[in-house]
Amino acid sequence: PVTAGSIVVPYGHVIGNEKWRGSEVAQRLQGKVRLIFEDGLGLVDFHLSNRTCILLISEADLVAGDEFKRRLVRFRNASSLRGIVIVEKTQISDQYYLGVQKLVVLELGMVLLPVANQGEASQLIIQLVSFCVREQSRDRGANPFLRKQRAQPAEPAVLQTVQQIPGVGKTKALLLLQQFGSIHQLCNVSINELEEVVGQTVAQQIYSF
Amino acid sequence: AGISRGPVEQSPSLCVLADSREICSGPRVISCLRAEHGLRVQVCPLGTSDYIVSNRLAVDRLLQSELQSPGNRNKLSQRLQRLQGSFERICVIVETDRVRPGETSRFFQRTQYYDGVLSALVQAGIRILFSSCQEETAALLKDLALLEHRKDAAIQVPTEPEGHRRDILSFYLSIPNLSYGAALNLCHSFGSVAAVANSSVPALAAGARLSRAQAEELHRFLRHDFDLQLLPQPLPAKGKS
Repeated sequence: PVTAGSIVVPYGHVIGNEKWRGSEVAQRLQGKVRLIFEDGLGLVDFHLSNRTCILLISEADLVAGDEFKRRLVRFRNASSLRGIVIVEKTQISDQYYLGVQKLVVLELGMVLLPVANQGEASQLIIQLVSFCVREQSRDRGANPFLRKQRAQPAEPAVLQTVQQIPGVGKTKALLLLQQFGSIHQLCNVSINELEEVVGQTVAQQIYSF
Repeated sequence: AGISRGPVEQSPSLCVLADSREICSGPRVISCLRAEHGLRVQVCPLGTSDYIVSNRLAVDRLLQSELQSPGNRNKLSQRLQRLQGSFERICVIVETDRVRPGETSRFFQRTQYYDGVLSALVQAGIRILFSSCQEETAALLKDLALLEHRKDAAIQVPTEPEGHRRDILSFYLSIPNLSYGAALNLCHSFGSVAAVANSSVPALAAGARLSRAQAEELHRFLRHDFDLQLLPQPLPAKGKS
């Protein structure tokens, strides 16, 4: 039963795989987030929202061999959800980390976050949930790393660019732009037209540029 | 397993651009890329990112301690937002801080703030890799460059323009939201600035290896009709215009 399909997660809730009931992660999550257990989540350990879910890889999984890799690949092939892989990176499992990172991030294109133990995993999940909630509430401005679209006048930048032409300083750049309007037009004027605005030498320089 | 396919024959052609500040802050990353992985590393004043690995991917190298301290938040978010303006893909490599000789290994105390930063990066679609030292960072950069090469996005133009082309490069570099790689591509693909200015959006996208949206932005910029009134007034000329 490979269930990796989407599942409806009530706003602000986390749906956990039945197998985590009573575990340290679950205990620490309870009280911080609204956690519901469900059977038959298949490959997924926790669903944070309708499109984000978590696959938890323990130290024991890493040491035991390649079974967890098959699980990740199966998930990737079966699901279009955004999968976040949380892996227990301890002194014992540290040696496997680079290989896992290469598989998960570079080959499967998923997100991989290391934690030292289940306690850290639960803290991380709480933060991830809070960002999922914000995303759902369309409060995207709250994310400091998302680019905000600000309409800024292009004038200072255009002026700056024209000044990169050899022989053109601020004064000449202003004159040229007032006369010809845009960089596109400036590129298409004849040398005679340039001479009317700036001197012969500079006109020649601009023209040959 | 696919990545390790024939790196020996491919690596020499691979090119990575490194910011000049990395000579001081990550010398072993650069020397390792050159010596061990055989990549061509061109050091240039990138300004925006630490490394440019392909036509569309920028990589920033961050120390774990930088992600731990809330004091860095503004600087980091401004930097990453600026990167998102000029690159399709962004990756950060979180590197464990170096333990200086004599210093007892500090225990890494994971904070709620740190988890919050990671969550925000994930949600913003920024790729995160973890590295324990500069050598590992170099290996990750090589893997990324190889991956981008396989996806046909590798930097394949000469990275050191000479003479007149240097002036043209700095002209392109002054265009907002145009990456160093895109500026190099423009230098290489178009015979003159006039040819760039007269190009259509698809031609710009193909020549500079830009996404459609970025090519549109460049096209708009080149044809932007200058209006003196919109220029922020210098201080002496303050007042109603």
